[in-house]
Amino acid sequence: MPEEVRVHYQEELERLEKRALEGLDMVVVSLDRTMEAAEHADVELAELVIADDDRIDGRYLEVHQELITLLATQSPVATDLRLISALLHVMHGIERMGDQCVNICKLIPLSGNEPPADEEMLKRILMMGKQDRTLTTQAKRAFETRDVELARDLVHQDDVVDNLNRECFQIAIEIGDDPDRREWAMTMMLAARSLERVGDNAVDIGEQVAFVVTGLFQEFEDASHPGRVATADAQP
Amino acid sequence: MRQVPDPAAAGFQTPAAEIQTTARRTEQAAGPRKNVFELRDVTVAYNGKPAVADVTMDIHHNDITALIGPSGCGKSTLIRALNRMNDLIPAASVSGQVLYHGQDLYASAVDPVEVRKRIGMVFQKPNPFPKSIKENIAFGPKILGLGDVEERIEQALRRAALWDEVKDRLADNAYGMSGGQQQRLCIARCLAVDPDVILMDEPCSALDPISTGKIEDLMLELKKEYSIVIVTHNMQQAARVSDRTAFLIVELDQAEARQGRMIEYDDTEKMFTNPSDKRTEDYVSGKVG
Repeated sequence: MPEEVRVHYQEELERLEKRALEGLDMVVVSLDRTMEAAEHADVELAELVIADDDRIDGRYLEVHQELITLLATQSPVATDLRLISALLHVMHGIERMGDQCVNICKLIPLSGNEPPADEEMLKRILMMGKQDRTLTTQAKRAFETRDVELARDLVHQDDVVDNLNRECFQIAIEIGDDPDRREWAMTMMLAARSLERVGDNAVDIGEQVAFVVTGLFQEFEDASHPGRVATADAQP
Repeated sequence: MRQVPDPAAAGFQTPAAEIQTTARRTEQAAGPRKNVFELRDVTVAYNGKPAVADVTMDIHHNDITALIGPSGCGKSTLIRALNRMNDLIPAASVSGQVLYHGQDLYASAVDPVEVRKRIGMVFQKPNPFPKSIKENIAFGPKILGLGDVEERIEQALRRAALWDEVKDRLADNAYGMSGGQQQRLCIARCLAVDPDVILMDEPCSALDPISTGKIEDLMLELKKEYSIVIVTHNMQQAARVSDRTAFLIVELDQAEARQGRMIEYDDTEKMFTNPSDKRTEDYVSGKVG
């Protein structure tokens, strides 16, 4: 049997993958708190989410720097190179997901302390948050297990978020004629937009799973050409 | 424009016009690649024991082709089979076919000296003659009776990116040059006899990173006019300079004897980003020794 070498490098790469994917756990915590803050118009909890985003940003900077160090010192190739490239993308996605939670939490003081102006719209916002949670945990599981099919399924899960976003938009239009409620509806529409982006970020992580496994980068869905799947050779 | 050697003079039948010395890879990408070597089931044995077995591969013209693999996999043996250097080892034998521009390199009518003129070689350790810089370059053309020796010296040194550094001290002993300069002198010596192919067996392993960088820059420049095959232990060097990479490993045959085999041969980009064989992946990643 050939002797295994570069054991420390492999251990370091495994440790960094674990640290990166833990960032998705941090996003789930942030999402849960954000939805609770939105449901109860809890400004203090929203402020906690905003402050706690520094932890996600810190994880991004830490893992990013250590991945760059591995690139500089270990000259990774093949699967290792694809993994490092993917983890850089994943960390960027995680950082963006954290920022979307912050964006929503910054809106909560603007929505006022009164009961929600439209229960149906709030219900859909909360459903979007719940679905984003599912997407985030599924993206993590797909990456950990290198499960391309599970990663591809993220597109279907994301369709649920997209549909809810469209429903929110329809409700906002209907509320638009009511001067007492339309400001609230517009604020919630911004929150829905942020939640829709979180779902997209999870799908992006799924695409990185496919890249690590197959060596080909493939957009699961081409946003500029709906219904068409974009494929390109790997260009790490 | 460099004069293209006439393969017919060495018993080869390929018209010189077919040797496309200035084609770049990008220009050729649209059409089928021109082969400089075609190896068919090539086995090189020492005392009847195969050192490297059953290698089949096409080596493209104006490419840099890297042979990589662990010690003892037969990559140096294989590269030496490309200009019949193994003929100098009495116990060595070559079976299978090595075609050079479609002609059998080991056919009885082929003159091995002419082969080595067309297919030059640079070795691991710079090996200049204990003579002046000028005499080192002039040696080959004089022996072969080639004309315009003075011009050949300047052209060879220019092509080897050495002219500006040595033009004022051509009479100095070559041993006074740095290791990197000596290696470029050896490349210039090879170029002075107007080869078609340059074989390089670990050309940078004795050099510092700056000298290595200069040789690598030189290789990229030279591939516009020549085909280059390089054996290297340095994975990053293979990744940096080569167009195609062949990976060889050591295997045990049925009699438990060690022999080299080619496992994968593909575009270098693919070999280093998404190799097809796990053994290649493990080796280029440095996961197995």
